[in-house]
Amino acid sequence: VTSFYGAAHRTEATLEVRQLLEGLAPGEGDLLEALHRVQHRYGYVPKAAIPAIAQHLRLPESRVYGAVTFYSEFRETPPPETLISWCSGPACYIKGGAEIRDALEQLLGCGIGQNTPDNRLGLHLGQCNGTCDNAPQVWVDGKVVGPLTPSKTVALIRELKERA
Amino acid sequence: VTGYAELQAQAEPARRRLQALDRPRIAVSIDTSSIAVGAQDTLQALRDAVISRGSDVTVDQVGGNGLSFANPVVEVARTDGSRVLFQRLRAEDAAEFVESVITRNEMSNRWLLGALEGATGVQSMDDYPWWSIQQRRLMAEMGLIDPENVDDALALGAYSGLERALSMTQEEVIAEVTKSRLRGRSGSDFPTGRKWDFLRASPTQPKAVVCNADEGDPGAWINRMTMENDPHALIEGMLICGVACGAERGYIYIREEYPLAFERLRKAVSQAYEHGLLGENILGRGFDFEMKVVRGAGSYVCGEESGLIASIEDARGMPKIRPPFPAASGVFGQGSNVNNVETYHSVAWLLRNGPQRYLEFDTGRNAGTMLFTVSGQVERVGCFELPLGTRTGELYDVCGGGAPMGRTFKAMQPGGPLAGIVPGWCLDLPLEPEEYKAKGLGSMGGGGMVFLDDTSCIVDLCAQFEWFLEDESCGRCTTCHGGTQRMVEILRRIQKGGGRESDIGKLRLLAATLRYSNCAHGQAAPAVIVNAMDWFSDELEEHIYDRRCRARVCKGLVRYEADRAAATRPENADILAHAAEYCLNAATGKSQGACLDCAVCHELLPEVVRVVDAFPPGIGPAPELISVQPAHE
Repeated sequence: VTSFYGAAHRTEATLEVRQLLEGLAPGEGDLLEALHRVQHRYGYVPKAAIPAIAQHLRLPESRVYGAVTFYSEFRETPPPETLISWCSGPACYIKGGAEIRDALEQLLGCGIGQNTPDNRLGLHLGQCNGTCDNAPQVWVDGKVVGPLTPSKTVALIRELKERA
Repeated sequence: VTGYAELQAQAEPARRRLQALDRPRIAVSIDTSSIAVGAQDTLQALRDAVISRGSDVTVDQVGGNGLSFANPVVEVARTDGSRVLFQRLRAEDAAEFVESVITRNEMSNRWLLGALEGATGVQSMDDYPWWSIQQRRLMAEMGLIDPENVDDALALGAYSGLERALSMTQEEVIAEVTKSRLRGRSGSDFPTGRKWDFLRASPTQPKAVVCNADEGDPGAWINRMTMENDPHALIEGMLICGVACGAERGYIYIREEYPLAFERLRKAVSQAYEHGLLGENILGRGFDFEMKVVRGAGSYVCGEESGLIASIEDARGMPKIRPPFPAASGVFGQGSNVNNVETYHSVAWLLRNGPQRYLEFDTGRNAGTMLFTVSGQVERVGCFELPLGTRTGELYDVCGGGAPMGRTFKAMQPGGPLAGIVPGWCLDLPLEPEEYKAKGLGSMGGGGMVFLDDTSCIVDLCAQFEWFLEDESCGRCTTCHGGTQRMVEILRRIQKGGGRESDIGKLRLLAATLRYSNCAHGQAAPAVIVNAMDWFSDELEEHIYDRRCRARVCKGLVRYEADRAAATRPENADILAHAAEYCLNAATGKSQGACLDCAVCHELLPEVVRVVDAFPPGIGPAPELISVQPAHE
């Protein structure tokens, strides 16, 4: 992951962001695509990328930053090494999803939207994508794990901690 | 420039591969639902097994057919025209499976689901009520074609509806849509023909066709089915709308939670461009249409059409006050028509087959079929296509298989948290929006039906749904973001045993206030809690006045109690040690702390550790104005 912080990197990084935005144009509805590309490259949307995006799409920086904070999939901080998304959908919830969430938060010592202090594991609020036959489920780096129970959650986190 | 006849000629090899095989074909359903249970590994393992045996067999990827419970689903088609479905085929079983169906020609193995066509001596799919009850029209090609290959779609008649529309006038196309009485399938129920006529008659130029593919309602994956498994049907439907309304631009706004649908749609769009189905002079008929696929970034409120338009326009997805309606001023100020995926898909079917066939299913008020996803506490999770007017109970009992053994049906959540929650009598309602509205619901929703049994608690569900709606509120109006917050606080307090006599009155007041929100999100946010107060008042009052949760779900109202005698029985010793190892108290190193209610011991030893009421009978509600710590978020 390239760091944007530190003046030495800044010009180079801005150039790189401009390259990522190639083919995107102002007034075409490309802001979300621009943010997706930046996040895909860095794992999050670094603050220093915002002026470059704003310039390229001829938008105020506030509008770009507003979008970053409005949409829940854009991160302002680096992601953890392993991201666990807890599914908040009803099919998972009625099959014990709340207990899975409690167990995850207790075991990792962090809430949804946060990472462990060592940045190895983090929790994310997942939205239902209709794989409800696995309920209650989580996604570990995008891969469905389910159906879970409280004890299986404990076992999963133990395994992930050992693997990390 | 390529005409439709040339495209059909090009698709000839695909037609042979699908309909006149020269050697057996094994096809694995690949979509988000099947990938979740390892279908990609199954596909790879089958390819390896076929290669290592040197069998003369094609192994292909196809789309999913909606039967989530049977995934990974595999179809074996033979040169004699027979087609047989197999279920739950794991990668580790691939070699044995190929040995059975190809080498030994044995279909009746442990993975057999049923025969779609022609196989004798094998269970037929039509023998399954959950298959024969379906009228698979929109889903006819799902599970048959490779959604990443436009020739597959063309071979089965894709874009013939567009070809027809291009030979008609705008008024004639709209007249067909109006005649079919198709209405918006997102839950809005607005007559599609009338909506299109607004845009056709609108003086604005240029015009745009927008597809709302931000299927945010949790528990619904109907639009994902079309986008992942038959994406050209959506493109065709939007093109027909473009022809009918005189629009030359299309936008598909798809939620970020559907990465495979996004990839497949993007691929479909680029193939459509390559085949002269998008771009300039489409099918050589002088019609121009550009299409763009926009990927969202995780926002439920972008499913509201003005929020969606704002999101496409490089902004936060905050809904606007209407009018102006999209037909007058939509995406980038262009007159726009917004429909959801299933509506456009229905249009494609209807133009391919004509309104007479569409009206074969007609209740007088509603015509055609609709896709429903069934999830929650049911035996079979999946997506099923039924004629409108079918009894809701048939969707639940026949398709879903009813409640799991030993449990009883309690409630259904139709189409997302904004649609509300309905008790047992909903099973008698025909699946028609009017029937649901007559009972006091805002709508029937978009077809994502979640069924609950008696192990679910209504108060807990209300708290979860209101929390979801609070979290997803755009934040523009205080009624919505503040109102949902207050509701969550009250519900969470009730769940913790702090329910007060004044709470129901407060919830009613909040519900009445929320109706003044700017958009549908806030206006419909109190739906579940209003339904709970009207139809589940016993259960809600029990939570407040007796501080008791009958489903034993609300953590503040139950505690875990060990049966000492049972705990000392030798046969329980192993599991007990196992439970101790997984107890969250021990796992988090807080072994001296209070019980964390993790329920591990109850899960592993339900006979030894029971869930009992935390409060004695006759306790009464909590006193007013006692401060109870709000739940940690």
